[in-house]
Amino acid sequence: MTALGLCARWAHLGAGVFLVGTFAFLLLAGRSDRLTVVAWERTLTRWTRWAAGLLLLSGLLSLSYQAAVVTGHPGDALSAATMLRLLGATQFGTVWLLRHGLLFLLAGLILFRDREESGWDWAAFRGEGLLLGGTGLGLLAWAGHAAAVEPGGLAAAGADALHLLAVGVWLGGLLPFALLLRAAGQEEGADARPFAVLAARSFSQMSLVAVLVVAATGIWNAWNQIGNVASLLGTRYGNLLLLKLGLFLPIIALAAVNRLRLLPALSGEAETVGRPAMRRLASFVALEFALGAAILAVVILMTVTPPGRHTQPWWPLPFRLAYPPPHDVAGAGTRLLVGSQVALVGVLGVVAGWFLGWRRRLVVSVAAAVLVAGLGVALPPLTVEAYPTTYRRSAVPYQAASIADGRTIFATHCAACHGRTAEGDGPEATGLRRRPANLTEPHVGQHTAGDILWWLTHGIPKSGMPGFGDRLSEAERWDVVNFLRALSAAGRARKLTEVVEPDRPWLAAPDVTYAVGPGAPRSLKDFRGRRVVLLVLFTLPESRPRLGQLARNYDILQTMGAEVLAVPTDGGDQIISRLGAWPRILFPVVTDGAKETVAAYSLFQPAAWIRTPAHVEYLIDRQGYLRARWTPDSGGWAEVSGLLAEIQQLNQETITGPPAEEHVH
Amino acid sequence: MRLWKAVALLNLALGIGLLVGYLWWGREATRLRRETTVTIQAGAAGLEEREWTARGVVRSVIPEINVLVLTHEDIPGFMPSMTMGFRAANPQLYAGLQVGDVIRFTLKGVPPNVTIVAITKEGKT
Repeated sequence: MTALGLCARWAHLGAGVFLVGTFAFLLLAGRSDRLTVVAWERTLTRWTRWAAGLLLLSGLLSLSYQAAVVTGHPGDALSAATMLRLLGATQFGTVWLLRHGLLFLLAGLILFRDREESGWDWAAFRGEGLLLGGTGLGLLAWAGHAAAVEPGGLAAAGADALHLLAVGVWLGGLLPFALLLRAAGQEEGADARPFAVLAARSFSQMSLVAVLVVAATGIWNAWNQIGNVASLLGTRYGNLLLLKLGLFLPIIALAAVNRLRLLPALSGEAETVGRPAMRRLASFVALEFALGAAILAVVILMTVTPPGRHTQPWWPLPFRLAYPPPHDVAGAGTRLLVGSQVALVGVLGVVAGWFLGWRRRLVVSVAAAVLVAGLGVALPPLTVEAYPTTYRRSAVPYQAASIADGRTIFATHCAACHGRTAEGDGPEATGLRRRPANLTEPHVGQHTAGDILWWLTHGIPKSGMPGFGDRLSEAERWDVVNFLRALSAAGRARKLTEVVEPDRPWLAAPDVTYAVGPGAPRSLKDFRGRRVVLLVLFTLPESRPRLGQLARNYDILQTMGAEVLAVPTDGGDQIISRLGAWPRILFPVVTDGAKETVAAYSLFQPAAWIRTPAHVEYLIDRQGYLRARWTPDSGGWAEVSGLLAEIQQLNQETITGPPAEEHVH
Repeated sequence: MRLWKAVALLNLALGIGLLVGYLWWGREATRLRRETTVTIQAGAAGLEEREWTARGVVRSVIPEINVLVLTHEDIPGFMPSMTMGFRAANPQLYAGLQVGDVIRFTLKGVPPNVTIVAITKEGKT
């Protein structure tokens, strides 16, 4: 079923490409009344009829296959009702109807083609064939992955349409071209030789342009759908693209031989040079076409594979490159500097050697060796051990609830060795071969989340760190990863003061989900781009005067674009009643989600491991970064004017840079 | 008929089809946008008197101006969850209410002029 459906798509794409290429080639080659050329055109016309029939038939089959795919029931492939709904209610259906309307006209044009009485008729037939076929092919882009790119779907689909058209004109033209060359390469085809040579020259020019367009739009598409090296190497979609490139390179090599060696030989003396060259060119072009057909098959597989950007990559190599050098390798900086300069000399040597022409092969190979040597010096210090999950994106967002869960899991499973405060000094640590890592040091932040997930799952064999893959679920392991990220951030958070560092956001604030009374659940992220948030962790009764002070100034704070979010450190039980009636507190006081918020945010307070701080306030900017912290024992915001000054500072900043990412990297 | 004439006619028809389709699309988009605006306005400010019931937590009682400040859940067809003040129909409604009480309240009126006409106490927060 799937195989049949994919074959139908392949036939559809192939027939479309062939028709576009054939009409383009016929237009490009021009008119001729030589007998061999006329016979060639007649063969092509017959082929176009078959292709048009195949195009419509495979179109119908693809529709039926799609009906089975969207409902998930193979039986629906024959259900007229499903197909009608597919056509009427989806973008796939609209595009299908538009395209097949055009293709139907194209089939009619080819079948009921009348005698051509003038040059006008000649051009009209071929031009219209190219127009209808090209539009039909290009519109395919709006039924594919490109149309789903957000944002900029129109540009992505436009680039994809251009890609399809360029492929059609170039790849589809190879078959009529090979047929012409074969006919003209025979002894009795001598009358068509001048026509074939001219056609070969113009086709060569045009396909150079087309291939450049294919490459440029292809890179743009790959960027949209894949976007990074990990997805290229580590996802099925990326691997299919690599396979596609692997098939594309021999085509380019063949095309280069054709253009540089065979094309100049075509006009040579007929018996000894011209005709053999033409026959060889014919078979090379046919080979190019066969490789092209294989590429189209890969493309069809890509249409049913989710794009690399949207799947989790599985890193295939045991290492990755990282900059700046993560390990303290002696002289890493020097090696990098020297190696990169040597490599640069190598690159320049290759380019210069290629264009100079003097002893080209020798110069280029020596320069290439220099390049490799340079890379060999520069790259090793940059390599870091990597694991299949290195580039995994966290399945659980960087949220207070996840950090709080991770903190609990850490206390149960990890604290025995890593210590209650994660400094690597737990009671069990003494018997181990290697001291457990101090997880509060900055090095934790240099590993990717995927690295830590791998260690949590499989352990670290040589060190005695066990794997928790069978004891903790994947979500729980991500919770621990989020907790460790927060812990690493907590180390850096010691530098936070009550003074905002202008224009320097560096500490992402974990998101918080909370509710006030029966109100709908909200999250800290709702304030992104809108308000500065003053997050207040408070304890009754000590904090009551401060809350009253904030409440009295609440209207000023609101006018300044700030929201106050108060979180009780002792949980939200009856907290609004306990706050009492006067002074009126009208800002949100968290009743649900307080415990998790406190567990996560108290980490950002020095010595929080020893006791939960009684009262601490954090200022979070509109991009979602923690920018300042205040506790009652420092002066700073004791007068509300001090707080207002910091909010004013945040208001004056022009928002640059990305919002704080909720996923760990 | 000569081929090129037929082709020219065909392209003319396709071009007209494209133009008509484009114009229809434009009209349809404008119509939908207008309908959406009308629906939103109708939803936000109906002209006849209506009634809603929702839950909320008392944040403040201000008898001087006869106002209750509530953090309430979503009131479907009127407003999303937020903290704001509502006028009460009479002072007896909030007699005995304290800050932190969870209440079920009924709003009545022609938006935006609505008053609380009934309150039942459900618990404490």
